Amino acid sequence: MRKLLRVLLVLWVLGSLPAGAVSAGAPPALRPDGIPDSYRLIAENPTFRLYLNPETLAFKVLDTRSGYIWHSNLDERAPGDRLNRTWTAFAQSGLSIDALDARANVKRASITLSEHTLEIHPVENGVQAQVAFPELGISVGMILQLEETGVRVEVPFETIREEGEYRLHLLHLYPWMGATRGDEIPGYMFIPDGCGALIRFTAQTKATNMYYGRYYGADLGIQGVLPFNPHLRRPYPISVPVIGMVHGEGQNAYILIIEKGASYAEIQAHPAGIITNFNFLYNAFIYNESYFQPTSRAGDGVTAVQPRTNRYDIVIHYRFLTGPEAHYVGMARSYQQYLLEKGILRPQHSENSPIGIRLEFLGAEWEQVLFWHRPIPMTTLEQMETVLSTLNVANPQVVYYGWQPGGASAPLPVQGKLDPALGRRSELVAMAERVKARGGTFSLYYDPLSALRGGAGDVSRYDLALAINSQYIRGYHRNHPVHYLSPSAAEKRLLSLGRDVQKWGVGLAVNVLGSVLYSDFRRSHSLNREETIAAYQRMLTQSPVPIAFYGPNDYLFAYATAYYDIPLTSNGYVYVSEDVPFLPIVLSGYLPYYGEALNFSPDVRGDLLRHAEFGAYPSFFVTYEDTARILNTRSNWIYVSSYRQLKDEIEESYAWLDALLSPVRGATITGHRTIADGVVATTYSNGRQIVVNYRDQPVEVGGLVIPARDAVLREVGP
Amino acid sequence: MRCFRVALYLLILLSVLASPVAAGSRPPYTTWALGPGGRLYLTQDAYVPVAEIDLPLSGPEDLFITSEGVLYVADAGNGRVVQLGKDFTITATYGEGILTSPTGIFVDEEGTIYVADAGSKTVVILNRDGSLEAQFGRPTNPLFGRDNPFLPRKIAVDARGNLYVVSEGSTNGLVMLSRKGDFMGYFGANPAVMSLQMMLQRIFLTREQLAQFIRNEAASPSNLAIDSESMVFTVTAGTARQRSIRRFTVAGRNIFPEVHGSTSFRDIHVSDGGLVTAVDAEGQIYEYALKGMLLFVFGGKDQADQRLGTLRNPTGIARHGDRLYVLDKDKNGLVVYQSTRFARLVHEGVRRYVEGFYTQAQPSFEEVLQYNGSFIMAYQAIADAYFKEGDYVRALRYYRYAEDRRGYSEAFWELRNAVLQRYLTSALLLFLSLTVARSAVRRLDRRRGLLEPVRRWWSAAQRSRLVADFLFLFRFIRHPADSFYYIKEKERGSLRFALLLYFWVVVVRVASLYLTGFVFNPYADPSRIRAEVEVIYVLALILLWNSANYLVSTISDGEGRLRDVIIGSAYALFPYALFALPLALLSNLMSLNEIFLYTFSRNLILAWTALMLFVMVREIHNYSFSETFRNVLKTLFTMAVMVLTAYILYVLFYQLFDFVTALFRELQLRS
Repeated sequence: MRKLLRVLLVLWVLGSLPAGAVSAGAPPALRPDGIPDSYRLIAENPTFRLYLNPETLAFKVLDTRSGYIWHSNLDERAPGDRLNRTWTAFAQSGLSIDALDARANVKRASITLSEHTLEIHPVENGVQAQVAFPELGISVGMILQLEETGVRVEVPFETIREEGEYRLHLLHLYPWMGATRGDEIPGYMFIPDGCGALIRFTAQTKATNMYYGRYYGADLGIQGVLPFNPHLRRPYPISVPVIGMVHGEGQNAYILIIEKGASYAEIQAHPAGIITNFNFLYNAFIYNESYFQPTSRAGDGVTAVQPRTNRYDIVIHYRFLTGPEAHYVGMARSYQQYLLEKGILRPQHSENSPIGIRLEFLGAEWEQVLFWHRPIPMTTLEQMETVLSTLNVANPQVVYYGWQPGGASAPLPVQGKLDPALGRRSELVAMAERVKARGGTFSLYYDPLSALRGGAGDVSRYDLALAINSQYIRGYHRNHPVHYLSPSAAEKRLLSLGRDVQKWGVGLAVNVLGSVLYSDFRRSHSLNREETIAAYQRMLTQSPVPIAFYGPNDYLFAYATAYYDIPLTSNGYVYVSEDVPFLPIVLSGYLPYYGEALNFSPDVRGDLLRHAEFGAYPSFFVTYEDTARILNTRSNWIYVSSYRQLKDEIEESYAWLDALLSPVRGATITGHRTIADGVVATTYSNGRQIVVNYRDQPVEVGGLVIPARDAVLREVGP
Repeated sequence: MRCFRVALYLLILLSVLASPVAAGSRPPYTTWALGPGGRLYLTQDAYVPVAEIDLPLSGPEDLFITSEGVLYVADAGNGRVVQLGKDFTITATYGEGILTSPTGIFVDEEGTIYVADAGSKTVVILNRDGSLEAQFGRPTNPLFGRDNPFLPRKIAVDARGNLYVVSEGSTNGLVMLSRKGDFMGYFGANPAVMSLQMMLQRIFLTREQLAQFIRNEAASPSNLAIDSESMVFTVTAGTARQRSIRRFTVAGRNIFPEVHGSTSFRDIHVSDGGLVTAVDAEGQIYEYALKGMLLFVFGGKDQADQRLGTLRNPTGIARHGDRLYVLDKDKNGLVVYQSTRFARLVHEGVRRYVEGFYTQAQPSFEEVLQYNGSFIMAYQAIADAYFKEGDYVRALRYYRYAEDRRGYSEAFWELRNAVLQRYLTSALLLFLSLTVARSAVRRLDRRRGLLEPVRRWWSAAQRSRLVADFLFLFRFIRHPADSFYYIKEKERGSLRFALLLYFWVVVVRVASLYLTGFVFNPYADPSRIRAEVEVIYVLALILLWNSANYLVSTISDGEGRLRDVIIGSAYALFPYALFALPLALLSNLMSLNEIFLYTFSRNLILAWTALMLFVMVREIHNYSFSETFRNVLKTLFTMAVMVLTAYILYVLFYQLFDFVTALFRELQLRS
């Protein structure tokens, strides 16, 4: 009897062991520094130690400053993880691939689950690996190295081979890097959405779908059309190739910077609760896509896979931060440091300290009367002079929109010609001189990429860019439906106009080029997105005039004299916890950034507070004549602009922001935090701090009283 | 340590939810306001989305907010009504076990909850403590109708305690019940609309064939609301978008004007401040002033990217203070919107305007114009304010901007009155002196032949062909019939002059559009006139008439040659050619009080022209009366057939073109 009881007791104890512990095999033995046995040390430097698991290509990084270990993949499952076999393999493998067959069906392969061959050779500071999946006939090479600030991963294109009927669709590179379970570790994921957004780790998210974000917007060469919905605003595209995670604010964090291949990368952010119990964030790289090829006007067609694989190299950098830098401000500053090292950001000398203000003038529009068109001059050069001489602002950044013959809705010319209703060329030159004397700049609005749909202009069909389905790419900007030009045609236009206007002493304010990126599938000169970026950069190094950009992506930062229309919010996804000024912090002190025109703001004061918090300079749209005159033209999206109405508001806004921001002009942002509900403080490198009070009541901060909906500047020391 | 972290995190989360609206947050949707020409134009954001609140509900169908701001939601999927507290947690539930699928709720001042339960097809009344007060189903009163179903979906209660129930599929309007469930009558039916297609079907189809079609019944209302004066508002999905919102007097008459609306409204709310808000299935929110002026349209559908402020399946809307609450069935939650400074300015102005305090409303609206210079409502209100103050000149200008012809006419009348009174005596004096001068000149002429050189010049001019033709025109006024005879005999009238006359008619047409006074002009703004279109219409009409008439006449023994038809038709247009332009110019001096004069004159001109054409056909082709009548009908029919043929050819060629390009593209692809 006793024996029986003892046996039963033993069985009961054995049976009640947690099931999860048995599932993944015996727990790996941990060495004293916390790294499992399966990992080998492959590189080390004073700050980091890099360990690699040669079976799965997973790596771990030990940050010697804090002793924190960063895991690129999952080692073993725990109960409650909600990972099935495919997901477990995905989490454990260093890289996984998705492949497309001829009918565009997707098949996934991960190292730990699929049949594969893996060869590893040591290289300086790391290893070079070649993974082949014979079932799919696809093989991918990867170089993993340790560098001073973290880890560098490279996937050169020549190591990628596609033999067999499958084509490489997506490459998932270290998808589980820094992944955390639910809300076990307090922290957040950072996505460069708009000005910057944080998704805090929670046990269960509000999102019903994971977040997909394609850097630089969707590839219009594949998508074919930029959709137009009059009821919705187009979301801000992602303009910097940086994502990151914080594990404990003030403790540890990392950012992932894509040096090469960003235009084919897609952010995938999965908060916990979407499919699995993990928060994970990574980039998936796109090599081939399927697309819809219409074969008749009615819209029938077939789904096809693109004929040639996208040809580009991938280079990504993980930079690890610890201590006070482990925070979105630290992440932004780390990225800023990276841009400085690359020579992309250069200090801009500002001899005069007043802040700039962007004044965009609408020159002329044309309307149809009876059988012909009649010009509506909204701001002639003479009127602009009146405005600028009576407006009490310093440092005006004047942009002239609608300067071309035919007005704002006419095609932009290739030669420098002014609409005759606005004045003579000599007046323009004199105007530019006067503006420069005031400390400002004079630019002409230009858009070298867009060709008006249905409009004439000197654009031949041969210059238009073709989408993969052999149709012209369609889009819309500033209420004009447009087609896009091939990069070579755009280059010819920009350089030709640049040379002409150089003699006038004016610059250019370029729209669309900085924010829209597409591949051109024209057979004679096809370019993929990476090659297009290179083409744009080559074009801009030859530009004879200074250029300011509207919403430029990072690859144009080096060529911009100013950033117009900077986003001051994110796109407002419901699962995003808060907006952070990542982009402003990156640019602060180096590239001056101007917000969107304040004419269209329902609450100018509130928007100005945001400008003060982010260090952005103000912008206004101005016309001398009443806006009602252009209501029947395509420019009626400018629904309020007359100088008479806006004069006081412009002067007051400028004076208020100037008092706050000119003492910190040229300084970088070193801190940003919410002091109390509705009170935010932004600290600059010269020891000054701007505290903004969004509340409707005054608030007291450190002995200083800030009035309702106001901001103050104070000294806090470096 | 862990507890602290969790608490800190929770605090941050709550603070994010409750924090004041982040200034500069850019909503994902655009906002539109009514501008010139009755079109919508972009404007500053009126509402910004504040939060999206998840609620533990299942397919909620309706929400109600009391005057204190307490929210009640009809949780249809869970068969209950929930009450939400200030932080949107459930503070009470009602009707569990009693309700099956509540789709409409209303809560009165005492806290009694009225529920329209579609699941059990009953109306349930619950006391504020949750106990059942009454439950009743289909009324037994024979006046309800024997075959009419009772499917209560929405409910509202007026100040007198009468229940108004939206019964799904009811074509007689709302079902009015007493608190005990007695049927009191139908209220607020939608009119059934007859379309031309239906009329033709009625004429041509047999009874059996007609029975196969769905009966032409009035659409039943989708939802309702009651304002502070106990007037009932309904919205009806599936009807003409301008008439979807109705506001009923006690007598059941609709006094809501035709407005910019939607065909798929889901819910409507009327606030105490006189703001009417409605949400439609596309996620768009429309806001009106009480009298029907559209203020804002905003919102959009979730494109699967979950941007805050987009809606997926809205089923209810309510306003409290500065905030709008929209219930979304698919999201199982509420989306909360906060009005911006701009919207609050508009609301303030509208409130005062609706109460009749035009002058006090003026400063608010002038500030609104600072925000958006094409906000029509603002011009309307400012014009009314100036009118009230007696500043008619300014009122006139603002009425013009507001495109309010009635207001403009009234202000114009006042001004004209004032001008007449001031200058009448001097005008009379001038007229008198002119008459005296005229008789003096005449007498001088008789004695000394003063005007002899003029007379000589005149007879010389008359010998020119063109002038003779021109003067011939005036002969038509007195002797139309034999004037046509002269044309036929080639004695008077020339082809050249006829073409000139046609050209003049085109010019008159276009000019009258530009020159007609604002009060009578269909186009409020000259830039909206599409001159080329008008010209093409007139030319096409002339061409069609001439060719059709000639063709028809040649095969029905008409004597007229083509030349006669062309010249005859030209001269037949003389009433229009002579009088249309002066009438247009004269209309600038008329107000709406004289509208009869204007429309009568215009119709007279057109009728006279038609008569002249008729006479022309008779005389030129030498027909009898009945033959003329038949000829004219045949001509008109021929014109219609010509247009139809042209259209068919156009469609066919377009198809051919499409086919060829598709073929070409296909070949290009395959190669």
